[in-house]
Amino acid sequence: MELFLMTLTTGILVGGIYALVALGWVLIYKCSGVLNLAMGELTLIGAYVTYAFYEMHIPFILAVVLTLLVGIILGFLTERIFLDKLIGEPILSVIMVTVGLSFFFKGAIEFVFGTDTRVFTPPVFALKPINVGFLKVSPVYLWSFILSIVLLIILVCFFKYTRWGLSMQATADDETAALSLGVSARFVYAAAWAIAFMSAGVGGALLGNINGINISVGYLGLLVLPAVVLGGLNSVPGAIVGGIIIGVLQNLSGTYLDRYFPGGVKQIMPFAFMAVFLLFKPYGLWGWERIERV
Amino acid sequence: MSSVWLPCGDYHQDYAEDQGWWQSRVIKGKMILVLAIMFLGIPLVAPDYWLSVATMVGYTAMGALGVQLLIGYTGLLTLGHAAFIAVGAYTSTLLVLQFPWPAFILHWGLAYPISIAVAGIVAGLWSVLFGLPCVKVKGFYLILTTMAAQFITVDFILTQYVSQIGGRGQAFSLPPGTIKVGPWAIENDFEVYYLMAVILALMVIILANLLRSKVGRAWVAIRDNDIAAEALGINIVWYKLLAFFVAGFMAGIAGAFWVSNTAALSPEHFPWFWSLWLVGVILIGGVGSIHGAIFGSIFMVVIMELLQMVAIPLADYYPKLLIDFAFIKDMAFGLAICAFLIYEPNGLAYRWWQVKNYFNLWPFSY
Repeated sequence: MELFLMTLTTGILVGGIYALVALGWVLIYKCSGVLNLAMGELTLIGAYVTYAFYEMHIPFILAVVLTLLVGIILGFLTERIFLDKLIGEPILSVIMVTVGLSFFFKGAIEFVFGTDTRVFTPPVFALKPINVGFLKVSPVYLWSFILSIVLLIILVCFFKYTRWGLSMQATADDETAALSLGVSARFVYAAAWAIAFMSAGVGGALLGNINGINISVGYLGLLVLPAVVLGGLNSVPGAIVGGIIIGVLQNLSGTYLDRYFPGGVKQIMPFAFMAVFLLFKPYGLWGWERIERV
Repeated sequence: MSSVWLPCGDYHQDYAEDQGWWQSRVIKGKMILVLAIMFLGIPLVAPDYWLSVATMVGYTAMGALGVQLLIGYTGLLTLGHAAFIAVGAYTSTLLVLQFPWPAFILHWGLAYPISIAVAGIVAGLWSVLFGLPCVKVKGFYLILTTMAAQFITVDFILTQYVSQIGGRGQAFSLPPGTIKVGPWAIENDFEVYYLMAVILALMVIILANLLRSKVGRAWVAIRDNDIAAEALGINIVWYKLLAFFVAGFMAGIAGAFWVSNTAALSPEHFPWFWSLWLVGVILIGGVGSIHGAIFGSIFMVVIMELLQMVAIPLADYYPKLLIDFAFIKDMAFGLAICAFLIYEPNGLAYRWWQVKNYFNLWPFSY
């Protein structure tokens, strides 16, 4: 029972990070309709950029803030250079441009930083587990969860209450109507990419603290895909719940199924679960069901 | 193939001519020329290094044809084709190494050809299994299930259980002489090239014929609008799964062929990267044409070889370049896909078609 609760807690805590990255994904999809397969590489960029700042003896929190700034710049640039020209193209073209971007980013990261695993030295978070109630939790997980939840709340408030957030919501809801009311769609697309870069960047920095930074952080970023499918592609609460479910599922299967299927069951389970889930509920938990007509 | 543009002044006079395989003498001559270059020109003239590059082009084209069938002709987006190539390669190797073949089959050199056929069927069925969600979902969701196929097949089943990487470790290496087609042992680059040329030619001919039959027209109808196709009485579930089977079958054969080239097998030969690469190849070549798959393969493989030839002399001045070459290759591939999609969305096949039309109507361009 204690093992179960420990696994569950770890799952929920890691799931918070996935939820943050998944939110960035959903934003791009909602605002501009782009299905982004480069999310793993965005987390990778975030992890390495934070690491580079941290190496310059900048405190971790400040490094994360600087990463956010870099994320905004990269997001605007990516949207303007690559995605802006593809508005209205078929879905495969847009998806494959994001795949091309993911290759480009991954190659660039490996070119600059190499393939060795990097570790934040000195460690950002204390290594000794702390007691929460009767559970022992590693501080990395706890602080990561708290940081991601804070950012999630900031982002959701940004959408609900600020002028820019409202214009993004309007574009997501009905692009033509938003355009006729004077919302600049191009600005909204760029803002969506900037926010995605930011959220993925912070997610990457936090994930990099857990296991060290190497290319596999990009794989963890790819886990947002099962998360968003689970929640429904265009649902913000869905992304958050989906991220947490994927975190829990991953850790539970790692603990309980690894005995029967030794090897990488932890990495595979989210994708296998997603493939089966799609058969029964293709639009996820809260996604809009699209009715097709000829 | 059916929409061949005829030169000025050539008209079809009966149905047999209209449905003919070679629509005009020029085309017939051109195809004979292509086959002659493929079977006689390249193997006799090219040095061993370029022969192995040509083999690589052929292997890429075999995979790309399957992807072209799924994406370009049936509209089923797939990002997990390498999984089915891997299934074919492993099936063929396991059969050749571990199946108790009767002596006369070994004597006649039939073990490897039979294993190629079985590999195709197994990979096809595996592909249908992961294609099943296409009954309910399409577009992006289908991409995710084929991605799941890639991770489950290659990164989990093949890595952990078949090859047992990180555990006991099972090496799959084929001793020389086991890969025999009839009386010929496939051992050097020259023989591998011929095997590739025969398989690729057969694949292209069979696929092209399939595409101009009832089945091919049904696939194209499904690609253009699947609901409308269903309303026209096409059994879309059957035809979609058939497309998955045929594409998987071709992938399996490609994998079984690849075994003859490497003579040793590991899951690292079939990463997710390779699935993405194949989709990139058809995007650069042109979606929805067999020419596209071939042009794309030639373009990508040759460009990467040229890049390498440039990098090697430069490495004298900048030694880190050789180590980093794989990363530069990734970046170049990514940028190439983006550039083609933004500036040349119809691919190389479209340019080819334009050039051909220009000369068909030359000198009067109307």
